[in-house]
Amino acid sequence: MKALVIIPAYNEAGNIIKTVEDIKTNAPSFDYVIINDCSKDDTMRLCERMKYNVVNMPLNSGIGAAVQCGYLYAKRYGYEYAVQVDGDGQHDATFLEEMLSIMEKEKMSMLIGSRFIENQGFQSSFFRRIGIRWFSCLILCFTGKVITDPTSGMRMVGRNVINFFAEEYPKDYPEPETAITLLELGYTIKEIPVRMKERKEGTSSISLKRSIYYMFKVTLACIMAGVGYSKYKKNDYEDKYYGGMDV
Amino acid sequence: MMARLQILIAVLTLCAIIYIGNKVRKRVIELKYALVWFLVAFLLLIVDAFPQTIEKMSDFLGIVLPINMLMLFGFGFVLLILYTFTIVITNQDRRIKRLIQEVSILDYRIDELEKALKKEDIKVKKIKTKTADEGPEHKVKVKNKSENKKTMEEQS
Repeated sequence: MKALVIIPAYNEAGNIIKTVEDIKTNAPSFDYVIINDCSKDDTMRLCERMKYNVVNMPLNSGIGAAVQCGYLYAKRYGYEYAVQVDGDGQHDATFLEEMLSIMEKEKMSMLIGSRFIENQGFQSSFFRRIGIRWFSCLILCFTGKVITDPTSGMRMVGRNVINFFAEEYPKDYPEPETAITLLELGYTIKEIPVRMKERKEGTSSISLKRSIYYMFKVTLACIMAGVGYSKYKKNDYEDKYYGGMDV
Repeated sequence: MMARLQILIAVLTLCAIIYIGNKVRKRVIELKYALVWFLVAFLLLIVDAFPQTIEKMSDFLGIVLPINMLMLFGFGFVLLILYTFTIVITNQDRRIKRLIQEVSILDYRIDELEKALKKEDIKVKKIKTKTADEGPEHKVKVKNKSENKKTMEEQS
């Protein structure tokens, strides 16, 4: 079973080495790929010096496009499972092996690492928690499913969802929206409790100023996704395109 | 008075059609996107030739001044054109995004290939293709580039 860790990184020179080493030591059965979204700092040079497995995007195109590039990579190289781990060192790689074994045993389409099941580790600020609650409510309204941490970036998906994401992935702030889309399409989502850390260096892509835009855009996107993705059919993304390239 | 204005508008419209047509001929404007402009010009010519139609229509719609009716139509057309552009932009956005992703994966595969060839000791021409180091916004990086070269020389 081949499993891939996708690490989107934009200006993460301060965190990237820690993140990758964490994955190498704590999740040895995973391959990893760093998607460097045309960082302006030393991220690329660091990765090359450390001989990390890195895909460099030629133009900065946003977190969504970078993650989608990772899914495209997973699709092309024939990975069975892919999990996103942010390059800022917030996600703890020790949970990855556990997630993979649950994925293999229970055969769901997506497994989300949630901060809010056992409420351990870094819990995010008060206002962010309100926002996260709001998206949980939206998802409950549209799909009837409870997802406690819809904004968690730590999400493991199987082969069919990899195919879907490689074709169709929102440009920015994709997490809550794609959860609804997948549920609407009839994929299954489960959550397990994880601990997350506070970011050490650099700044979050969601600053205070952008929060309002974020709330507005994601809410609208959730409604759009909830009203129905009639264009897509689940069967279109069954694994039939690529058997995977020989690596 | 009326006739003079009509002739002026007709001439201007024809000029615009010829101008845009010439641009299309020179491949400056894609015919597909020029069609909407031709449509506007064509309708303008019709209205110009038969101004009574406007009066009749504004009577029918209950608009007192025919000029307001023209304004309404003009505004509608501008919205239509902007709408078509929004679709075009969205389409291009998606395609550019996919191109960037494909290019980055190709770049990755070439890197892997070169590494493999190096192991087999097969010589390939080296080029510096990493765009992150280039462009005016990355002027700071020029220093890094020369450093890069140094480390590469040291390695070899």
